[in-house]
Amino acid sequence: MTATTPSPPPAPSPAVRRARRGRWGAAAPLLLGASVVAALALLSLFVGVSDVSPAALLRGDSDAWELVAVSRGPRTTALVLAGVSLSIAGLIMQVLVRNRFVDPSTAGTVDSATLGLVVVMLYAPGLPLIAKAGVASVFALAGTGVFLALLSRMPLRSPVMVPLVGLMFGGVVGAASSFVAYRFDLVQSLLAWTTADFSGILRGRYELLWVAGVLAVVAWVVADRFTIAGLGAEVATGLGVDHRRVLMTGLVVVALVSAVVVTTAGVIPFLGLVVPNVVRLFLGDHVRRSIPWVALVGAGFVLVCDVLGRTLRHPYEIPLGVVVGVVGSVVFLVLLLKGSSRVG
Amino acid sequence: MTLRRPRPTSVALVALALPSALVLTACGSDDTTATDTGAATVTVETAQGPVEVPREPETVITYDIGVLDTIDTLGGEVAGVPEFAMPDYLSAYSDAPVVGSLFEPDFEAVAEIDPDLIIVTGRSLEAMPDLEEIAPTIDLSTDEADYLGSVERNVRSLATIIGEEDAAEDALADLQADVEETRAAGSEAGTGLIVMTSAGEVSAYGAGSRFGLVHDVLGVEPAVDIDSATHGEPVSFEFVAEADPDWLFVVDRDVAIGETSGESAEQVLDNDLVARTTAWSQDQVVQLDPMAWYIVSGGLTATATMVSDVADGLAS
Repeated sequence: MTATTPSPPPAPSPAVRRARRGRWGAAAPLLLGASVVAALALLSLFVGVSDVSPAALLRGDSDAWELVAVSRGPRTTALVLAGVSLSIAGLIMQVLVRNRFVDPSTAGTVDSATLGLVVVMLYAPGLPLIAKAGVASVFALAGTGVFLALLSRMPLRSPVMVPLVGLMFGGVVGAASSFVAYRFDLVQSLLAWTTADFSGILRGRYELLWVAGVLAVVAWVVADRFTIAGLGAEVATGLGVDHRRVLMTGLVVVALVSAVVVTTAGVIPFLGLVVPNVVRLFLGDHVRRSIPWVALVGAGFVLVCDVLGRTLRHPYEIPLGVVVGVVGSVVFLVLLLKGSSRVG
Repeated sequence: MTLRRPRPTSVALVALALPSALVLTACGSDDTTATDTGAATVTVETAQGPVEVPREPETVITYDIGVLDTIDTLGGEVAGVPEFAMPDYLSAYSDAPVVGSLFEPDFEAVAEIDPDLIIVTGRSLEAMPDLEEIAPTIDLSTDEADYLGSVERNVRSLATIIGEEDAAEDALADLQADVEETRAAGSEAGTGLIVMTSAGEVSAYGAGSRFGLVHDVLGVEPAVDIDSATHGEPVSFEFVAEADPDWLFVVDRDVAIGETSGESAEQVLDNDLVARTTAWSQDQVVQLDPMAWYIVSGGLTATATMVSDVADGLAS
């Protein structure tokens, strides 16, 4: 808990010092991590109802290759993009709000994006996917803005207050969606839109997620500014960083990523919360250092959960949102219990 | 997801359950008004066994469009209906008093009507104990394992209640004839797979499921064995491709609930994987009337529509 208060930048946190001394120092571990994720992605390519074996691909079996091109490849790509971008969005949010219990799903961003989708479904259902994502983004941005405005008007002494405010605000926005859905008999549909499910991902149905992927790269590039902005408006301004602008950039990235993922796949709970926290446990608060790890762990986590969802009830599927919800909540609990003794 | 807000329904249910629990304990015995009216009652079969209900009740309300369909088809009348966009042939009920949703009663509206009989089914079954406080309530759910049998039972029960037994027997005989004819075609059609699309996602249904009529009654051989589950099994397009049915039976849930926002079932299924199936390549995709199959199913006219959907589909 104490780690949520910002530590002065020059003195690395104990975790970072441990990290520098220890296993995570050099680039080698990153390569190792990347190859583990690559292996998971490969595995994900070969899990499914139809028979696609590496042997068939090597043989040049055209059916197998087509299946990879149409179904498996897009699905794996979509999973990696969603995992990477959502985890990074969570990290950015935590740094900017200076609270490690915040992520798009606990700060009203996802709820606002969902409300945007509900509104689109009611008033302009025929919009193309990209326009839907656009509306959802506007809502997500507005919602996150309101959340920040709420925070700035509140005397926040305890770090626990921030996510509480976020959860309450998200609850209010979510209640609006539920109410609209309830009025128009869409409760079940709302659930279907909002629970992330990659079973319908095919070529031509996931490409929007590349937007989220590109945004994740943008976040990577400006990572240092996020770190500095995370020190607070005064310190950041003193260090020559336009705090407002960085904050806005971060918000736009977070809102767009959340909206795009919600629109194409649905809500993936906990991801943005758990992944950055797991990484922070080992690497501390340095954004540039953590980002590649957050990306890798995020992708790996989502890949593992989706493979589980596809195999547990084979040939049927368990939606990704459900699997991540279960696994993520367990990880989060462990994190809370262990993290407090370790970091605190 | 853990910190989900309570859904309005559950709050409402708790609020309702408390006072009704008190009333239940206060009454103590089972003396409902139905038994008081002695001679004016009749015993009918319901999903929960034989029940004595008022004969030719003046005001009947129901939470099931299928029940409404049956009563309307037999020439009876209903005094209160759930809030729902009615299918065309029931449009006379578009302005009827609303007594709640398909799932949940609006108790004030029910009290206002002061019905003589209330009919619930699976979707509204949970409210049965509360409704029984107001008026005799019967459960005419259909049985997915014996769809046609339970429809016949319900039709006969409703006919007995409203005194239209002859009309019911005629209608059931017609239905039976249609079923026989379609079964002959169905058992020679090859394999079939029933899918429902909802918000761009696909679930598959097998024998014994809510859409199992296709296999159980009309004799189409299932392309794959699917566990019977009310909400179907979420599947990938690969599953559909791999099942490779000769016939694909499609229910578009979005249309059924009046939600034409997303992609139509046709758009959802129009992809490289489904294109691999015999059904798609031979143009053997049967669009089932979503309203009849998903919403009104169990009703007399709806069941006839369901049978003719399959018959027409197989014939084309």
